[in-house]
Amino acid sequence: MRLIPLLLYAAAAAAYAGHFAWRDPRIGRFATALLAGGLLAHTFLIGMQTVQAGHAPLVGTSAAVSAFIWLLGLAYLYVELTADERSMGIFVTILLVALGIIPALDPAVSSRPPLLQSPLFTVHVLSMLFAYASFALAGVLGFTYVLMFKEIRAKHLGFFYARLPSLRVLDMMNGRAVVVGWIFLTIGVVIGAIWAMQVQHSPDPRAQAMSIADPKILVAVMCWVLYSFEVYARRAIGWSGRRAAWLSTIGFVIVLLNFVPVGYFLTRSHNF
Amino acid sequence: MVKLFAVGLSHRTAPVEFRERVDFGRGGIEAALDTLAKRNVGREITVLSTCNRAEVYVVADGDGAIEQVTSFFADYHDVPANEITPHLYVHRDADVARHLFRVAAGLDSLVVGEPQILGQVKTAYTAASDGQFTGTVLNRLFHLAFAAGKRVRSETGLGEGAVSVSYAAIALAKKIFGDLRRLHVLILGSGEMAKLTAIHLRAQNVRQMTIASRTRAAAERLAAHVPAMVVDWNEVHSALERADILVTATGAPSTILSRDDIARAMRTRRERALFVIDIAVPRDVDPEAGSVDQVFLYNIDDLQAIVRENLARRSAELERADAIVASEAAKFAAWLQSRDIIPTVVALRERFEAIRRAELERLRPRLNALPPDARAQVDHITRLIVEKLLLSPTEQLKAINDNSLAATYSDALNRLFSLPSPGETGEDDDPSDGKRKRP
Repeated sequence: MRLIPLLLYAAAAAAYAGHFAWRDPRIGRFATALLAGGLLAHTFLIGMQTVQAGHAPLVGTSAAVSAFIWLLGLAYLYVELTADERSMGIFVTILLVALGIIPALDPAVSSRPPLLQSPLFTVHVLSMLFAYASFALAGVLGFTYVLMFKEIRAKHLGFFYARLPSLRVLDMMNGRAVVVGWIFLTIGVVIGAIWAMQVQHSPDPRAQAMSIADPKILVAVMCWVLYSFEVYARRAIGWSGRRAAWLSTIGFVIVLLNFVPVGYFLTRSHNF
Repeated sequence: MVKLFAVGLSHRTAPVEFRERVDFGRGGIEAALDTLAKRNVGREITVLSTCNRAEVYVVADGDGAIEQVTSFFADYHDVPANEITPHLYVHRDADVARHLFRVAAGLDSLVVGEPQILGQVKTAYTAASDGQFTGTVLNRLFHLAFAAGKRVRSETGLGEGAVSVSYAAIALAKKIFGDLRRLHVLILGSGEMAKLTAIHLRAQNVRQMTIASRTRAAAERLAAHVPAMVVDWNEVHSALERADILVTATGAPSTILSRDDIARAMRTRRERALFVIDIAVPRDVDPEAGSVDQVFLYNIDDLQAIVRENLARRSAELERADAIVASEAAKFAAWLQSRDIIPTVVALRERFEAIRRAELERLRPRLNALPPDARAQVDHITRLIVEKLLLSPTEQLKAINDNSLAATYSDALNRLFSLPSPGETGEDDDPSDGKRKRP
């Protein structure tokens, strides 16, 4: 059961790849259907885990990754259906499959330690995950922008040129995704800070480790600075196009680093 | 026995001077259709007219229609018949479908894969069908042609990539800016190339177009052609700051915009991209300007290279497109052949009905003794029996789409029920026909 979403995401990735290569709208619709099916199965799985654990399955890195994939899939599906643009699907689903391996290998639902029994915890985690999902979309958009920008500058109009929407559309969608992500990241960080202050007298050693010196928190704050700069640069100094695209790509790489390696190995405050 | 013909000429068989003389577009397709109808050329007609072809599609009862259409071409356009005949080609039955599908898919176009032709075929069909000049055969033929055209468009790369320098430039601009409607275009120069590009960009509804030329009068002449603002040559630099697309096509002997000129213009415009189309020979813009951030610089050679690549890609797609056309044409051919069975179906039904009537006639003295109610019942029941007996054979026969099988069945039925041979029945069309007018 827990493998079904991953398998459907993988099938969707294959179909999106086929759609990207051959540009057959029927394959594209099939890919969307597979992705929607995967998300439905994933929703069901998360629902089951919620019933089983008695709380939302957000404790521990693999559960967080699973929730992140789910949010990213939903966010992408929303963008695809509203913008009627499928060419990003291949990049997003590859990300879903790559990250989906983590919760598939480590499916146990961790029980919630007393430290996390606060409504602030759920809001914090969901905001952070939604911000990361937005940054993932922005990263994909930025990455494809750079790919196509290079093709046009090199005067070699090839594979991506024929398949991607215009640079302007990529840039505009990137800008929106970054703003949405930044808003949620801000909420997530602020809530996290409030909650950390509330629990600072808790005997849990992890509560003691909640400080800016902890790698996970430090990198999250760095992300916030980076994306704040991107939002500011776009509005105030007109940074758009290639530079914004690079920023979004780099930003998302940092997000991923913070999410997986830092989350697993380095942090002492967030190792639930 | 109905026959389907296409008679016409195209860029393949007639030079442009001749095509101009037989252009149906001038007098309107409707007038041509009316004339054909008045001449009783056939049961169904459609006239397709583009700048590269003039064709008449006819469903008629015999080969005589070809002669009639040929003389129509000559009379209607006032061209001697012996002059027009060498340019005309004739397609028959299934070949008509293959030809029309190739046309609709852009395979027969001067520029292979050009997209306008499908719309032109639709216009031709709409004119004919609105005037009730089409029937079962042409309705089917043209709808399948639209489907074939669409399939080729969506399943092959035949229509992809611009195949002229102007379109290549516009396609690039769209890939960079998306919608061109909010853009400012600055054109330097007033020659033929400048004019051509200006007209193409104007057609994209750009927000504002500005023209500058070293002789202001020349710029104003061009601005009269394409609605545009004219600025003096010494205002070019400030105009450049506002421009999103710069087209340079002057006859200047050396570059007129250096890398620094472009870089300076970029500084004041933040990160807004600038697409420079340098179609002048020798070049107007220093090639180094292409390295300025957010500047996309394309010269005439770059654009021509894109065109060449696109043409090569299109010809690589030809085979796939041909396969699609062939499969769609085969569908039509099968359908057309299956229609050959219809006269047999009609004859069979008439035969059964005749037997029923004859038997009722024979029994009339005895039936007359019955009350009127019962007589009506007998009539009803016998009719029902005949219907039931014929239901399955009729369905089976109509479902046959193999020509030789249809012929075998026809032959067998003709012998078994001693049916009159097709054509003698006087009705050989599908009784379920929709609108049809017999001109």
